[in-house]
Parts: sequence; structure tokens; C-alpha cells
Amino acid sequence: MEAIVDWFNAHTVSILNGLARGLLLFTLAIGLSLIFGLMDVLNLAHGALFLIGAYVGFSLAPDGTGFAVAVAVAVAAGAALGGVLAAAIHPIRRRGHLDQALLTLGIAFILSDLSSIIWGEDFRALPPPSVLAGSTTVLGRPYPTYRVAVIGVGIALAVVVYVLFERTMLGATVRAAVSDHAMLAALGTNVEAVFGAVFAVGAALATFGGIIGAPVLGVRPGLDWDVLILALIVVVVGGLGSIKGALVGAILIGEVQSLGVALAPDVAAFVLFGAMAAVLLVRPEGLFGDVTAA
Amino acid sequence: MNAVATAWLPRIPAVAVLAALPLLVSDFRLGVVTEILIFGLLAASLDLLVGFSGLPSLGHATYFGVGGYAAALVARDLTGNVLAGLVVAAVVTLVVALVTGFLAVRTRGVYFLMLTLAFAQLLFSLVQTWTPVTGGSNGMSVPSVDVWPGTSLDSTGRFYLFTVVTVGLCYLLLRRLVDSPFGRSIVGIRENEARMRSVGYATLRYKLAAFTVAGVVGGLSGGLFAQYQRFISPGNVAFQISALALIMVIVGGVGTLYGPAIGAAAVILLRDELSRRYEHWELILGIVFALFVYFLPGGLGGGAQRLRSRRAPMVASHSEAAPPAITQEIDL
Amino acid sequence: MSERPVDLSRRDFLKRVGLVGAAMGVPGVLAACGGETGEEASPSPTRPTAPKGELRIGLLVPLSGTYASLGRDMQNGFRLYLDRHDGELGGHKVQVVDAETEANPEVGLRAARRLLEEERTPIVTGVVSSAVAAGVRDLFHESKRPLIVSNAGANDLTRTKRSPHIFRTSFSNWQPSFSLGEWAVEELDIEGFFIIAPDYGAGHEAAEAFRQSYVEEGRGRVISERFPPFGTTQDYQPYLSQISESGARGTFAFFSGGEAISFVQQYAQFGLKEDMPLIGPGFLTDEGVLEAQEDAALGIRTSLHYSGLLDNETNQSFVADYEEAFGTPATVFAVQSYDAAQLIDLALKDHDGDPTDGEAVSEALANVGNLDSPRGVFHLDPETHNPVQTFYIREVKEVDDGLGNVVLKDLGKYQDPGT
Repeated sequence: MEAIVDWFNAHTVSILNGLARGLLLFTLAIGLSLIFGLMDVLNLAHGALFLIGAYVGFSLAPDGTGFAVAVAVAVAAGAALGGVLAAAIHPIRRRGHLDQALLTLGIAFILSDLSSIIWGEDFRALPPPSVLAGSTTVLGRPYPTYRVAVIGVGIALAVVVYVLFERTMLGATVRAAVSDHAMLAALGTNVEAVFGAVFAVGAALATFGGIIGAPVLGVRPGLDWDVLILALIVVVVGGLGSIKGALVGAILIGEVQSLGVALAPDVAAFVLFGAMAAVLLVRPEGLFGDVTAA
Repeated sequence: MNAVATAWLPRIPAVAVLAALPLLVSDFRLGVVTEILIFGLLAASLDLLVGFSGLPSLGHATYFGVGGYAAALVARDLTGNVLAGLVVAAVVTLVVALVTGFLAVRTRGVYFLMLTLAFAQLLFSLVQTWTPVTGGSNGMSVPSVDVWPGTSLDSTGRFYLFTVVTVGLCYLLLRRLVDSPFGRSIVGIRENEARMRSVGYATLRYKLAAFTVAGVVGGLSGGLFAQYQRFISPGNVAFQISALALIMVIVGGVGTLYGPAIGAAAVILLRDELSRRYEHWELILGIVFALFVYFLPGGLGGGAQRLRSRRAPMVASHSEAAPPAITQEIDL
Repeated sequence: MSERPVDLSRRDFLKRVGLVGAAMGVPGVLAACGGETGEEASPSPTRPTAPKGELRIGLLVPLSGTYASLGRDMQNGFRLYLDRHDGELGGHKVQVVDAETEANPEVGLRAARRLLEEERTPIVTGVVSSAVAAGVRDLFHESKRPLIVSNAGANDLTRTKRSPHIFRTSFSNWQPSFSLGEWAVEELDIEGFFIIAPDYGAGHEAAEAFRQSYVEEGRGRVISERFPPFGTTQDYQPYLSQISESGARGTFAFFSGGEAISFVQQYAQFGLKEDMPLIGPGFLTDEGVLEAQEDAALGIRTSLHYSGLLDNETNQSFVADYEEAFGTPATVFAVQSYDAAQLIDLALKDHDGDPTDGEAVSEALANVGNLDSPRGVFHLDPETHNPVQTFYIREVKEVDDGLGNVVLKDLGKYQDPGT
């Protein structure tokens, strides 16, 4: 027993950090998952949205002041981009997954390169807002205050998203659209509007994740592809279209990336993709995926 | 069929041009053409998956990379014989493609996309961390190869001719394959797997066979590329290679085999021309790509094919999004 | 500032637009058929003819990726030397041809091939990453064209893989770490270091050299070492946790560019800075990253062959001119590239023959002797072509306008062992 306590003590920082990373991934995975669950579209441009959010933070709050305003701008920009993406996909809604995935891949290239045209190729570091700068002592160990805040915000976000989708009329409409668009349309709901809204919300969550993640993950070209691949793993492990799955999957992957690297640095990368392959083979709908909704 | 002859006739000038090219252009441009041929082969092998089998892979760089590293290691540690390198590359990719394919062909749709992507990322991590063998992120130099001792392929011209022959043979092999009963069967499976199964096809076995052939040919192109570049690094396995190969297929025309080769030429020339004076060639590439998806889903080659056969574009499109469920039966 | 090189290559492009366009369809260039790469290519009569006396020099630098800012500094350093010398090197009007390498050996190799085979630049300089250097080394060696490496520090490049045609105006990875280890043994009362460096060639070489001087020759102790993945690690927390749990009393870190910013900031955020002094090769607190690191960098001590605050006249005028011309602080990368230009200049002044004669130019480059550099006077080891140069211990302190690397100690000249 004591050994277990000791172990947790020794790895407090890694565990906390896994949580912080996991919750950041959640902001990305949840949008991916909902967009797929609802529209059957694998949005490969989702990582680029995350990066754009981070760059908005870098542009508007390069030294941490004005962070709140920057967050608001990032979220608005994300929602707008989400609307544009939904409109871009609309003409090929009747085509297969591959075409839609490829279109978003093309858009991902465009957004990714546009960001380097606008913001350059340098690796940037974004300092946290000054109120959250510095370190706090957590269980006797110094831990960056900002990351504590990220964990708090992430948990709050997860709760809000859960309540919104599982406990409100709005959420019920969206879930109904996921399982049967035709029925919902017949009942008089504007399904296309629901799709557009979900895309906008998903994209806004991604840019939000990008800006609050910037002080932790940095801002750099290529970050978009890195987080996209991680988020895809999260979604596959957790189950497409499931909020709970996205949350559990995200925290799992966050911990593998943090605790896993601390405990077994050489195999962490393999654990990540190995876990994904294993889940796909054993439980292809994901840990929390609903077979019928997938 | 006389069509064979008519199909071959227009190719004679093309072959003549390819053969005469070393006399006509500079070494640098010959190198570009060599690269186009190699990537054309990679794209054609991917087309066997995407276009004919309806298995859209996001991780075809896996086989390109495995073949490349296999050929590189042979040249560095065993023998400078170019054929030995390619044979080993083919055998190693055969094994890797069989194992990964065994797992992958059981999934469909988005799950297939993601699983293939995961395999490629796994391999990427492996070559990046297995420094003693692969040189890690620094990559490794590959000694020059020869056909037999004394006939080194270290000149651009000679390697080009060798590439023309090798790529040509592989292409003919792929062509034969898709024109064979096997080829028609995999197209049938793509169009309606349940029906093919009900009439007695072991569909998974067919899909696995197609996956493996695509892997091996992709591995050969990777081996050739390593021998040509005389250098290999994790960049050869990166997601960008998978994406680039897919773009070539889409631009050139899905389900045509020769289309992707055209796509390879278009993409590489575009990249080289743009990147030398403009850092942001990916932007243009992305725009071109998106335009193709919208307006020319059959690609450059597909347009021609459609005119000929008046068939719908050969993209694996199902009007109602099929649930990407896993096929549960085991009939292997 | 960074626009200028782009403009240049664009103008360059316009000149050749017809030729390039034609090459895709009808071959406009009749080069020798399938000759040995490079060797036959060099005397080709088809070299895009520049007016007599003009010299094309290839600048092989990353303009995107991890090392983009280093690449820009190197462009600027080279340009500053040209600007100060009427755009001439050794009496030849110089035209610089940029080629993008990213941090990717494949892209670098393609770019180098283009410079040699298509752009016909007889002399090439640049190369930031050791991986790119390793990738292009054989090409230059076999085609007997001089390459002046102005950053990449791979030891091998001037050891087992040294070549009569490869020169280096920067450093070998061994140099800063080895000198730092010697100093740490003598002047730091620290029991046991933790070594952290990115998992790639340069990272391992830096760690090895520190081990060699600190442990093997100095009898110090290294508690443990870790090599995080290169180029993708942004969050160093898992490693920082290991460092703080390891029982080490100090940290030796080799990072540069964006990674140096993240590492130094997080080292402070996770509270390690108070108890465990951070030392490393000087790229950790290079002038290009100091501003972004802010106070987190204060007190870090490093070893390098340069500091913007070096107190000699050449440096003072260099720093002033550089900052005026480009608006960014002068970095060691800019100095190394400036010196590459100087090396070419001095070599071509001594050499009256054809500047496109690779072997003769290499010979001249090898015999240049002393260079008056902002880093102080140095020369290239005639055996290895690696600089024999002074190393300095620097500490990050507040200076007039922000942070600076204040020189604490002159460690004397270091020469790479060459084996």
C-alpha cells in the first residue's frame, strides 16, 4: 500500500501533466468525433484549426497580456472557419468517405501553409497570462500554475459539453441527427443547419484548445499534423461519435504521453500506436463507441 | 483481342522518348524524371488499393519505407548488387504487407484509413528510434549499387535507364493483374462485397492479395528510391509521403493505373518548380488537390477513361454513407 | 530583411524562365549524356552564362522547420559580408543562389544536387543540420566541389568523413561540450550531472564530449542521461520530472532554436532552476532565443566560440552593422556564415585561376590562414578543416537592453582531436 502511495507521489507531476495534455487533446477529439458521428466526415483539417487557434494567441497576446480577448477571437475565428468547412464539404456530401477525407486533407495543406505564410516558420513559445505565470506547489512539488488552470478549464469544458449533448433539447436534436438524419428531416428539423452548427462548434473547440494549449505545447509549423494524429488515435480508441469515449481516450493518450514517457521512454511511441491497433482489432467500434452510431 | 495491339501502338513513341532521354537532357532533369518514374510506380501501387480494391490507404509510406530501408541495409551491409537489394526489399515488404494487411482488410471506411495511418506512424517511430540500424533521424547513406561488379549505377544516366526498365516491368505486371480475372474480382468486391461473398468468393483473401501486391510494388519503388538517392531517412516513411502518393493518385485519376503515373509527374514537377522560387508550394498543392476533388474526381487519367467507357468515376463512392462496420467473418 | 534573398531568387528565376519552361517539354539543354555526376558536368559549356567575373555561390539553408531562424541568420551574415565588400568576393561579383534544405536530409540532398547540377554554383556554403550535412557530404566529396559548412557540427564531417573539399567555419559538436566539461570540473562544485539532449546525431555527440571531459578526464559524475525525440518534443515535463527525481545536482542540456526556448522556460516553470544549475553548449541561450526565454534564462552558463558581447573591435562593428541592417540581434550563426564569406573571399584573392575549378579552389581554401572574425582570430586546422578557435564561458545576465551572454572566462583555443 505504501509502495503505491509512494509511486503516486513520485509521479504526481507526470500524472497531472498527462491530465493536462489529455484534456487539451479532448478539445480536439470531441469535435472530430462529433463531426464524424454526425456527418460521416473525417475532418483532417482539424489539426490545422488547433494550430490557427495557437497562432491567434501568439498574434494577440504574445506576452500573455490580453489572453482572454485572444481566446474569444480564437473561438470566433474557429466557429467561422468551421462554417466555411461545412460549406466546402456540402457539395460533395453524397460522395464517399474517401473524397471527403481527401478534400479536408487538401484544406489542411492549405491552412497549414497559409499559417506559415502569415506567422512564419519559427518555433514560438507563448507565455501564459501573468496571473497564471509561475509555479504552484502541488503535493509538495512545484507545478506550473498555468497547467493547473488548463486542467480546471478542461474538466469544466468536458462537463459543459456532456450536459449540453446528453441533457438538453439541443443535444437531443443533434443526437437524433446522428442516428437518423432522414427521420429528423421528416420531422421538420433543418438538418443542414444542425450539421453546420456542429461543424462550427467542433471547430471552435479546436481553436480554443489550440490557444489554451499554446503555452504548454508551443506554437510551430507541424504541430497541426502532430495533434491531428494524436486526436485520431483518441477518437479511434474512445469510439467515434461518443463524448465519453473522446474524454476517456484523450486522458488515456495524454497519460501514455506523459507517464508513459517517464516510465518507459523507449517504448512510449509504440504503446500509443500499438494501443490503437489493438483496440481497432479487438473492439473496432472503440471503447465507448456505439456500434449502430458508428 | 486486337485492342491490345491498338493500346500498345501509341506507346512505342513514348518508350522511344524514354530511352533517348539521357541523350537529350541534363543530368539534373534526368534525375527529376527518375524520381517521377519511381513515385509513379508508388502511386500506381497505391491505385491498386484505392482505385481497384476500394481500400483507401493513408499509410502507403509504410511499404515505401520498409522497401527503402531494406534495400539500403542490403547495399550497406551485404552486397552492392542492385537486384539483390530489390529482391530483399520485395520479400521484406511482402512479409510486412501480409501481416499488416491481414489486420487491415478486416476493417472498412474510416477505420481502414486510420489503421493504415497507424501502421505508418508505428514504422516512423521505429526507424526514428532504432538508431544503431537505421541511423535514426540522421538517416543513413547508401553506397552506390551495381548490376554486376564493374557496372556501377552511380551515374544519373545509367540509374535512369535501370529505373525505366524496372518501373516498366512492374507497371506491366500491375496492368496484367488488374486485367486478369483476379482484377475483375477485386473490382467486383469493391462494388458489392456481400454479393461477391454470396456467390462464393473468399473476399477477404482477395483483398489481402491486392493489399500485399500493392505493398510489394510500393516496397520496390521505395527500394529504387533509396538506391537512387543513395540516402534514406525517416522522411521516407513520413505521413507526407503517404499524402503525396494519394494526391498523385487523385490528380492522375483513380482506378486507371497509368493516371497516377501522370499524377506523379504533375505533382513532382509542380513541387520542384514551385519550391525553387516559392517556399509555400504546399499551399498550391492543397488548392490543386481540392479543385480535383470537386471538379475532376476521376483525375486527369480518369477523365479520359470516362470518355472512353462512359462509366461513373471509379472513386469508391456509395451514395449513402455505408456504416464502416468491421467484417466479422473469417474466411481466410 | 528576409525578403531580400527571396527577391533575388525570383529575379534569378525570371532570367531563366524560358529555359526552365522549355526544359519540361523540349530539352533546351544538351548536356553530356549520362556522364559521371558532377565530374563531367563541371566543364559543361551550357553553364547559364554570367558576365565574366561573376560568381554564383550556393547558399544551402533551411527556410522552414525547426531551423528556419538559423537559416535566416546565415543568409544575413553572408549578405552582410557581401554588402561590406561591394558585393564581391575575391574580385568576383557574387550572385547568391538560395536553396531550401528544411531540416530534412532528403530535401537537402535534392537542393544540393540542384545547386551543383542545374544552377552550376561552383562553391556552396551553409548547411545547418548535421543530418543534412551527412546527406550531402558524398555528393560534394565525389564531385570535388568545395562545401563550406557554416553550422552543422557533426564530428565526423572533419574526422572520419573529412574531405579535401569540405571546410567548416563553425565548430565540431565536440568543441563546446568538451570545453564546458573541463571548466565544470575545475570551477563548479556540483556532484553529479544529468545529461539531456535531443535524440539525434548532434545531441549524442554533445553528450559524449561532455562525458569525455567531465567524467573520463575530470572524474566528475553523470547520474543519468535522456534523449527526447528530436524536433517533435515541445513538452519536456516527463524528462524534467526524471531530472528532479534523479538526485543529480546540475543539468547539462544541449538544445537550440525553438527547443531551447521551450526547455529553458519549462526548466524554470517546473522549479528546477533554483536548485539545479543549468549548463550547456551556448546554443541553449543563443542571442536568437534569449528574448523569448525571458527571465527563465538568467544565470544559465554556457560555452561557445562567440557572444554578442565579446569585447573586440571586429565584433563591435559587426554587431552594430548587423543590427542596423537586419533589425535582429547578431547571432553565432550569422558570424559563422559571415566568416564563410570571408574564407571564400580570402581564398579567391590568393587564387587567380578559374573560380569554377573545384580542386584548385579547395586548395586555396585550405591555405587561407588566419581569419579576423567577430569571434576573435581563428584559423582552420589544415588537417581536418575544422576551426581552431577560442571558447568562452558565458552567463546570461541583464544588460543595458535586455538579456545578454556576458563573458565570464576565456578558455583558450580548442582544436578538435580529429579522430
